[in-house]
Amino acid sequence: MGLRDLVDELAAKRARSRSMGGDDAIARQHAAGKLTVRERLDLLFDAGSFSEIGGLATHAGIAPDMAGKETPADGVVTGYGKVNGRLAAVIAYDFTVMAGSMGRNAEIKCNRAREIAYTKRMPMIWLIDSAGARIQEAIGSKSFAGSGLLFREESVMSGVVPQVAAMMGPGAAGTAYIPALADFVPMVKGTSNMALGGPPLVKAVVGEDISAEDLGGSKVHCEISGVGDLEVADDRACLQAIKEYLAYFPSSNTERPPAIPCDDPADRRDEDLLAIVPDSPRRAYDVKKVVRAVVDHGAFFEIKPGWAKNIVVGLARLGGAPVGVVANQPMVLGGALDVDSADKAARFIMLCDAFNVPLVFFQDVPGFMVGSKVERAGIIRHGAKMLYAVSEATVPKLTVVLRKAYGAGYFVMCGRGYEPDLIVAWPTAEISVMGPEGGTNIIFRREIAGAANPDEERARRVEEFRKLINPYMAAGAALIDDVIDPRETRPVLIRALEMARTKKIDRPWKKHGVMPV
Amino acid sequence: MPEEIKAHITGVVYQVTAKPGDRVQAGDPVVVLESMKMEIPVEAPRAGAVQEIRVKEGQTVQEGDTIAVLA
Repeated sequence: MGLRDLVDELAAKRARSRSMGGDDAIARQHAAGKLTVRERLDLLFDAGSFSEIGGLATHAGIAPDMAGKETPADGVVTGYGKVNGRLAAVIAYDFTVMAGSMGRNAEIKCNRAREIAYTKRMPMIWLIDSAGARIQEAIGSKSFAGSGLLFREESVMSGVVPQVAAMMGPGAAGTAYIPALADFVPMVKGTSNMALGGPPLVKAVVGEDISAEDLGGSKVHCEISGVGDLEVADDRACLQAIKEYLAYFPSSNTERPPAIPCDDPADRRDEDLLAIVPDSPRRAYDVKKVVRAVVDHGAFFEIKPGWAKNIVVGLARLGGAPVGVVANQPMVLGGALDVDSADKAARFIMLCDAFNVPLVFFQDVPGFMVGSKVERAGIIRHGAKMLYAVSEATVPKLTVVLRKAYGAGYFVMCGRGYEPDLIVAWPTAEISVMGPEGGTNIIFRREIAGAANPDEERARRVEEFRKLINPYMAAGAALIDDVIDPRETRPVLIRALEMARTKKIDRPWKKHGVMPV
Repeated sequence: MPEEIKAHITGVVYQVTAKPGDRVQAGDPVVVLESMKMEIPVEAPRAGAVQEIRVKEGQTVQEGDTIAVLA
């Protein structure tokens, strides 16, 4: 054969690889409401920027029952391309080829893609649509004893490069730990699910009859377990969410997050901020309205919006620079912190700190939940996680006390003791170890019981106590930096962010702390 | 199918804002609890008619207790 024939042969092999699992399998993929792996990559990457590696790989030929089978690209498309102008590596499972099962050669390709992300310091993106390990090639001690290194590598890469694992189909067993170790996990509604054991295994091992959706669908993970970060309507919305998320992050932990030009004026005062927080301190309101009124163009990319809703976390920009927002949500449980909300906030604070994204805290917290239920669930341990994360964070930290700042709630939301670069309060702020009623009942228990009219005495003491709780006491003691007009919140934060840009804190050397997980 | 509305926090019933027979929309408060010194509404999970209110003002409820039933 001459070189022209050889080139034709190459072209035919490439075409075969790009045809995926064949027309029937592609039709089934579309009928299930899913895009094919190559359609997904076209949407994810900037036009013409994707370079594939390992496209000519096929299965390892080690299993007798795989003989004669074709596995184009061995069921996973790997490579690198540009997402909004910046490089990222990708591992995208192809469900049309043996249900996207992870074969031995597919794993070699995945290792190669992770190596690109890790050694060249760029985000790693997984598009998961896979039945899990390809049992035919993985069964038996000879192959399994050497497997599983991907999770170790993913752990080592954590906090070095952003890692996104999008659930765009099933992710059973091993493929469920990829999202668990990733930073951001969007899940497509209706078509995605993840579980350590899929329905057939569950039936065989514990006898439970359950569908994949009820076992590990997007609702389960985005509203109950907290493993999912965002439920999205379809594949397109999922890929859009990945792009939007990555825009807030640097390519690696050695860079700053990318700022963009901002035409929302830095000195914009928002009149609405006078009307959102109700006059009664017992009344709830939606803290997201405060966040949107303050950040650039009201754009807020919320993470885990459906889980632990008593705290709100997400990404936004101030004067064009990315920030991570942590805000108590009085609408849910009165904004009181519990096990899941402490978990959610701690993880988000660690994420932002790892990638040099400054943090902005909006406090309105009546405290941590108390009672036997939360104690048995380990509220002390989980609350400590949040203390630990906010203490460890060395990125710029800005705190605005909107209203309540009680007890350890004030600490974990970056109170004065937690190195905020600026801490200011609205005139409505109540900073105290506890509220006047609770405090009075404890401190003046005897006096109240011994009074001629205990109710009157209690009311008098509560009023006296209340006078001690106002932001001017804290500002007068120089323990908060200022009391601000709520309308000034945006300009105050943008100026402080600029001031804190050069922040440098060196902690003593250690391998790592012992995090209260 | 009737649906039970459960308390999602332990607290004291501060106000009963709906009565049997009332039509409610998803998100409408049925009862307001007081807990952590905050008024915390217990909302209807979907639209429907209130079939039964199982609590009285001043009563203590535990997380998970049924507060009302939606027809």
